[in-house]
Amino acid sequence: MTILAVTRLELRRLFVRPLAWVLGALTLAELAWRFVLLLGSFLAGQIKLAALPAGPGYTDLVGVPLLSSMLTGGFLPFGLAELALIIVPLLTMSAIAGERSNGTLPLLFASGLPASRIVLGKYLAVLVWLLLWLALTLAMPLSLTHAIHLDWGKLAAAALGMALMLAALAAVGVACSAFASHPAIAAAASMMLVLALWIVNLGAQIAGVDNGVINWLAMSTHLETLLRGLVASSDLLWFVLLIVLALALAIRRLATERERN
Amino acid sequence: MLRLDQLSRRRAGRPAVQNLSLSLSRGQVLGLLGVNGAGKSTTLSMIAGALRPDRGSIQLNGADFLEQPELARRLIGWLPERAPLWPELTVGEHLDAHGQLRGMRGAALKQARAAIIERLELQPLVRRLAGVLSQGQRQRLGLACALLHRPALLVLDEPGNALDPVQVAALRTLIREQAAAGTSVILSTHLLAEVTAVCDRVAILHEGTLRHDGPVRSDDHAALERTFFEIAMNERKAQAA
Repeated sequence: MTILAVTRLELRRLFVRPLAWVLGALTLAELAWRFVLLLGSFLAGQIKLAALPAGPGYTDLVGVPLLSSMLTGGFLPFGLAELALIIVPLLTMSAIAGERSNGTLPLLFASGLPASRIVLGKYLAVLVWLLLWLALTLAMPLSLTHAIHLDWGKLAAAALGMALMLAALAAVGVACSAFASHPAIAAAASMMLVLALWIVNLGAQIAGVDNGVINWLAMSTHLETLLRGLVASSDLLWFVLLIVLALALAIRRLATERERN
Repeated sequence: MLRLDQLSRRRAGRPAVQNLSLSLSRGQVLGLLGVNGAGKSTTLSMIAGALRPDRGSIQLNGADFLEQPELARRLIGWLPERAPLWPELTVGEHLDAHGQLRGMRGAALKQARAAIIERLELQPLVRRLAGVLSQGQRQRLGLACALLHRPALLVLDEPGNALDPVQVAALRTLIREQAAAGTSVILSTHLLAEVTAVCDRVAILHEGTLRHDGPVRSDDHAALERTFFEIAMNERKAQAA
């Protein structure tokens, strides 16, 4: 249960600092604006779309594009996935590096908690915030379900993909925070890493090379499948592997720090 | 209650503590004296569970503390040299967080929280952010966090820092109260008067090794001063020679 004590402490710290509120408010405002524009575009083309036998519906043109523009070709720059590449490193930067620079990390060690519980507790707190953020974003397209036909399966797959992506980014962010001496360094390192993971196959694609291994390494490959409504175990496994690897590294780093100080 | 056996630890490439053996019984107050860099804080960090020794063992109530670090959660209260606090949390939130980290919940936490707030006169500060507290108030909050779960061993690293004379007197009374209630206390300090005022025993560390371990008589401040300076100055003379 001490994991929950760490989670509660981290959540409280997260919610009393202005950073989380400001990031939440600004991104949700941007996403709401994006939702309104996507909806306007959908309504304007609704008659044409209705004439197509298997034309795209509300979920394809509003629900899923709200989550990511890069993969589904929306006309606005930032969907939730693109915002997450910036937001998550900022949210996770203080998780452990903040304790270290604040001098409070020894207090957590002295409370007898193993490194694994400290890392998992902090990871869960960030995850709670991110899932709340995702839920509020999904509430926008869901608010019209009484009037519009929604493809529940496709939206659920896309939401699962986004939840996994957020969980993976949070794990990478917490790992960077465990290795960095200062929160700003953790944020910068985490941003570089998640961007690299996102676009690792871009260069190969531009050069016209369709390399299976490079494509497999890229996060966008696995998210794209889920955003299209296809839930494949290989994609789920990729996210789970990344989460486990990042958290294992963070735990190992913290345990070593406790040993060596 | 506490037994240190051949405890050693290197820091920054040099031995900070070497082959330190000590024991402390229930309700005893041990003063840990030494010049800067003598190894006092390293010793206390190891006892508190924040730092693992390179060699040696720590036994708490007969159990191996290094094998069972979770013992710290129940048995030890630690106030480091500069009370580390989360500046964005209030005094009340600090107490809640510390209680929860130590496994306290519900009515037990509420009761302990109320008792320590009353005992350390923190009521006017409960809603204040830790980041805006004065140094003395921070120290009191750190002490409250260390005492909240009623530890069997209280580890205090220079607790009198930044306290005014009235607060120092209150701290001495508190330490004696804790000892009378059966809590063992280790008190690290630079002040010899602090040791003669509250400690039953004194241990003097110099360059990471134990140079003196004996009882303290409250009426013989001069004897303690003589012993301390002999150890500190003889070592300097020896080094100069």
